[in-house]
Amino acid sequence: MTRWLIFVGRVALGFMFVYAAYTKLQLPWISFAATIQSYKLPLPDQAVMFAARTLPWFELALGVLLLIGVQLRWLATAASLLLLVFFAVLVRSFALGMNIDCGCFGPGDQLTWKTLLRDGLLLLVSIAVTVGAFLTRRKAGDVPAMTREPQPAEGRTE
Amino acid sequence: MTRGARGIRVGRVICTALLVLGMGGHVAAQTPAKRPSATKSAAQIDITPLKALGTKGAPITMEVFSDFQCPACRELYFQTVRPVIDNYVSAGKVYLIHRDNPLQQHPHSREAARYANAAARVRKMEKVVIALFDKQAAWTADGNIDGVVASALTPAEMNQVRKLVRSGTLDAGIDKDLALGTQFRVTQTPTTIITYKGQTYPVVGVVSYNMLKTFLEQLLKQ
Repeated sequence: MTRWLIFVGRVALGFMFVYAAYTKLQLPWISFAATIQSYKLPLPDQAVMFAARTLPWFELALGVLLLIGVQLRWLATAASLLLLVFFAVLVRSFALGMNIDCGCFGPGDQLTWKTLLRDGLLLLVSIAVTVGAFLTRRKAGDVPAMTREPQPAEGRTE
Repeated sequence: MTRGARGIRVGRVICTALLVLGMGGHVAAQTPAKRPSATKSAAQIDITPLKALGTKGAPITMEVFSDFQCPACRELYFQTVRPVIDNYVSAGKVYLIHRDNPLQQHPHSREAARYANAAARVRKMEKVVIALFDKQAAWTADGNIDGVVASALTPAEMNQVRKLVRSGTLDAGIDKDLALGTQFRVTQTPTTIITYKGQTYPVVGVVSYNMLKTFLEQLLKQ
């Protein structure tokens, strides 16, 4: 049961990251840079430009690897950390009363309490997948939980 | 590894690869986007050259969809658009067009757009745009747009502007800009549409001059 929940969670996160990357990569990097700048974070222009150019590709890679399901413990940890950063930035901006676009899934996604709820839920799913992946591995010994192959029945080995 | 498990894993990798390839193809097809065909008709609007700065034959066209009552539009104007005018429009590299996109939640923005359009017809738009953005907080609070515009023009120019505003003929031009914005999927202000070699690049929100400069230079090197 736990393994199925982890499976559903990682596939959902994988698709979410791939979709988030897709919406950003449809636009020029400067458009995402403008979104990052709208958060008014204390970042130099060079850092914003670097993030705008690389973050969508990182999200794409993360999403694809989550869908494939390799190295789940570390990928889920990376996804949780990334979502935690996103969530912290969103909460800060919402608390400051910023009337801005979230930019999570391309333009036209206004930052509201619903955005916080959605991203909070995604963060919870990601943390649950991460914890589940570590716990499943601990129970299963040193064999990675989600990549462990079913035990072959006697007489049916290759 | 059993044959079944290997099959599942191979299938999983193939499915993911197909997904990514499909997405990559779509992204390649979408970026940069083709300019909407209706742009040609928008270019035929008589007032457009009066709302523009620079040479029409400049390699880059920048259309800024803006709302005079929007604080982010003010920020973009002073932080980014002014340096672009000084460094790129003056050098003949950028043709800058002001597009009106008054938002419904701003009660005075359409009236401000009317004054700006009237000023465009008497070829004083830039002065009025600067005044409207500079004193945005004041006229947003008291609605006295006329006073702000009057402070930027001579009495004779102001008389012409007032006549045009009272004539009620200026809304058509504003609505055409709004319709063009809809075609460009402008959902918020400011939105800047950059056109280079027939391709359009939307920039949603405020972007610093340094970043825009990097992007413009990147385009000009293509």
